[in-house]
Amino acid sequence: MAMLEVENVSIGYNTKKGYLKAVERVSFTLEEGASLGFVGESGCGKTTIGMALMGLLPPNGSVREGRILFEGKNTLKMSDEEIRKIRWRKMAMIFQAAMNALNPVQRVGNQIAEAILVHDPSIGKEEAMGQVEALFELVGIPLDRLRDYPHQYSGGMKQRAVIAMSLACHPKLIIADEPTTALDVIVQAQILGEIKDLQKEFNLSIIFISHDISIVADMCKDIGVMYAGQLVEFGPREKVFESPAHPYTKALLSSFPTVTGEKSDLIPIPGETPNLVIPPSGCRFCDRCSGPGSTCKIETPDWVEIGPGHKTLCCRC
Amino acid sequence: MGNESVLEIKDVSKIYKTKGAFFGSKGKDVTALNRISFDIFKGEIFGLVGESGSGKTTAGRLIVSLEEANSGEIFLDGSEIIGLRGRKRKEFRRKVQMIFQDPYQSLNPQRSIYDTVSEPLKIHGMGNASTRKDLARETLQSVGLSPPDDFLFRYPHRLSGGQRQRVAIARAMILNPTFVIADEPTSMLDASISAQIFNILLDMRNRLGVTQMFITHSLAAARYLCDRVAVIYRGNLMEVGPAEEVISNPKHPYTQALLDAVPKFGHDRDARRYGSLLTKDRDVEEDAGCAFFPRCAAADEDRCGGKQPGLSPLNDGHLVACFRTEVTKVS
Repeated sequence: MAMLEVENVSIGYNTKKGYLKAVERVSFTLEEGASLGFVGESGCGKTTIGMALMGLLPPNGSVREGRILFEGKNTLKMSDEEIRKIRWRKMAMIFQAAMNALNPVQRVGNQIAEAILVHDPSIGKEEAMGQVEALFELVGIPLDRLRDYPHQYSGGMKQRAVIAMSLACHPKLIIADEPTTALDVIVQAQILGEIKDLQKEFNLSIIFISHDISIVADMCKDIGVMYAGQLVEFGPREKVFESPAHPYTKALLSSFPTVTGEKSDLIPIPGETPNLVIPPSGCRFCDRCSGPGSTCKIETPDWVEIGPGHKTLCCRC
Repeated sequence: MGNESVLEIKDVSKIYKTKGAFFGSKGKDVTALNRISFDIFKGEIFGLVGESGSGKTTAGRLIVSLEEANSGEIFLDGSEIIGLRGRKRKEFRRKVQMIFQDPYQSLNPQRSIYDTVSEPLKIHGMGNASTRKDLARETLQSVGLSPPDDFLFRYPHRLSGGQRQRVAIARAMILNPTFVIADEPTSMLDASISAQIFNILLDMRNRLGVTQMFITHSLAAARYLCDRVAVIYRGNLMEVGPAEEVISNPKHPYTQALLDAVPKFGHDRDARRYGSLLTKDRDVEEDAGCAFFPRCAAADEDRCGGKQPGLSPLNDGHLVACFRTEVTKVS
């Protein structure tokens, strides 16, 4: 049995302009120790998926259909009390803005110790502090910074502290939502390296969410490409990268500048992402696609199997 | 592209004084730019690449004279810009324009696109209402906001990030400037939209010959857009040269560290590894040496820790501030 099975999940938000269909019928599975990356541009629904997995959707958001099975149990059917038992203990999330995830008026060490104590009140304060020290060593923060406040930390160190906090209760699954977006490239490389080491050391399962396809490919064995709330391509990173099938994946790859290889023209994707309150019928990428067929605007695309584990949501593939 | 300089920066330093604590200690001086010098040639796109806090934005602000340097000289078309007053200052403000990082903050939400784009014309007393409108239309068209009449009387909240940044570019371009600074114009935008903005900047250069300085943290973006790049670290220029050469054959250990940090899958899988970064920073008592010395794996304790290397030419147009390259050149 897979550790996490997501079946046909659709999520939406009630907004002033109407019901926004943020995620439409997304399915995937994640085995223990595996790594899966979601890549897509802002508004494609990748963060919404992460929040839904954690049971942390905002009050105006709801899962409309589908099932999320974590270790065989449907988390959508769980009571708040039940989900609280698995959240942070079994699955944890590293949030996007590390600078805002820490309490500014509490010492960093104490914050993490408190998180440990809340989930396991049986251990004493001293033991909790001992665990925090071990965590700091793990993520590479010097121990003499335990009693500092968040504002005394650099951006990279705050991000490390947030990673330490996510590991505090020994989760099996980590959802990392753009954990390095606000950081400089060198610090980013160090943090990504640390996440990789931790994954190996504890056999963690990782869901990595980013807008940067090269980071996702660096971190994860499987990649899901999302566009306008839908998963449009899914497969092993080698396949998605080297023989992308969906026109959106191809376009995304050719709009990133690189530092190696032949210098080629970047081809921007024309137009804008569709309005998800009234999503277009048929294929959602149709208006921006370089080679749409005559039926693309009408027919809802189906999954097409391209190779082992590699599939795409496109009528033309 | 000739080698005629549009902009010359000579030995420019900028020091920010920080306030001390309310009681007790005095503030420390922060050197944002430490005696930097470079030229930007007519018709080129010059990239200034660095991490946050490196001083790259400060350099941009000094050039458009939003701030004044503590020492050094800046020349535009051969004339000194520091201390300009009156009509000359206004003329300078017409010739040099800036595109800011965040299009969600750089546009006034209470002004229509037409108001925003035509305001510079009013300030400089150019044209009348009808020619201004024509020019606004034409400029919006040239940045890809077409048909322009669809956009003229909209307000920024109805535009996407990419469209807002196009408006900001149109506002800069409407005065027909000779020099434009783009400060991380795409860091708030998605990749597919960034590529659109890059292509507009390239088009501005190719079609209108506008000289540009592109400030960025991304070597990949600089490679795509720029003819030459300068790499800046903690206020010091580390390496200056043709973009392709600096990126494919970096000479400064810091440039190498930046390239190492690029994720290595897919396109960049075959990239060389340099290992120029120490795993743990060196403890350095005083900042007498090279700015990169505390983190440099290739440094020589005596030389690099004691004295600052200056930018020196390696070969035609490629300058490096590193004692190590000087050694290899001699031997």
